[in-house]
Amino acid sequence: MNHVYDWMLTTWINKVVLGYPWSWPTLESLHFLGLCVLMGALLVMDLRLIGFQRTIPLKAVHSLMPWAICAFALNLLTGLGFFFGDPYNYAGNWSFWAKMSLVVLAGLNFLLYFFAVEPKLLRLGPHDATPAVAKVVGVLSLTFWFGVLAFGRLLPYLGTGGG
Amino acid sequence: MAFFAWLEASKLAEWVRMSTEGYPTVITLHAIGMAIMVGLCVIVDLRLLGRFEGIPYEALSRLLPVAWVGFLINTLSGSGLFVAQATMFATDLMFIAKIVLVFAGAATAGILQPELAKASTWPGGKPPARVRNVAAIGIAFWLCAIVTGRLTAYIMLPI
Repeated sequence: MNHVYDWMLTTWINKVVLGYPWSWPTLESLHFLGLCVLMGALLVMDLRLIGFQRTIPLKAVHSLMPWAICAFALNLLTGLGFFFGDPYNYAGNWSFWAKMSLVVLAGLNFLLYFFAVEPKLLRLGPHDATPAVAKVVGVLSLTFWFGVLAFGRLLPYLGTGGG
Repeated sequence: MAFFAWLEASKLAEWVRMSTEGYPTVITLHAIGMAIMVGLCVIVDLRLLGRFEGIPYEALSRLLPVAWVGFLINTLSGSGLFVAQATMFATDLMFIAKIVLVFAGAATAGILQPELAKASTWPGGKPPARVRNVAAIGIAFWLCAIVTGRLTAYIMLPI
């Protein structure tokens, strides 16, 4: 992998991220903004999936999805910015890989929602109780995403990067 | 100043500052509380500004108590972070700006909560202009709170 990390260090992205004193704090501010919107949307969606907040129609929960996806995209992009800026530091940090593993698990859980839960929800009334599989997916989603948040914040303290 | 020095000398401050687990634990709780409080408040604000139309206003007034749990987490964890470096934070304009913005953001949620309880009486079923204004200002406060909060780690503006 080292040749990939070395290449990252030669890119314009690296130059921009490291070349200005405001780059890193700007990326961090956007990353924090994105995580707030993502977690806010997820909390509403997942609490409804788990069975709370049944006054929210199941269809309405859906309208939050584009915001969650855009917030995740923002954090993926800003996250890539951090990684291009300091690849060896992240690659050598187990907390970073724990975070990325949880992102992947959250993604697989989303596929489970998309293929196994959503078709079921479409057949339900707006304020119906949700099936067991929906509750499981909701709990897993919140667990994975709060885990992503925790390992992300702990990154500088848990691992000792190679950078 | 003596008061802040006294805070900084407390056992709690020492634990946050010196122990292996103190600072990472408290800073992580602070990020979790932020996600809950700011995240839900922004969703509530966006709803009042016309997004997510299918979500009933009554549901929002049931989401705000969850947001306040996040705020409680952050009041506690934030107190821990503050006492650890009380004399520095108390004289840092960037931090003072951040804390004012956080409480201003929380105040918008506090204003919206009783308004949402009266949602069934809104003419035309739409939030009145003053409610929408509070929601818009709320988003602005949270946005600025996040930016200034991040900047406390980079720029110190001593009084």
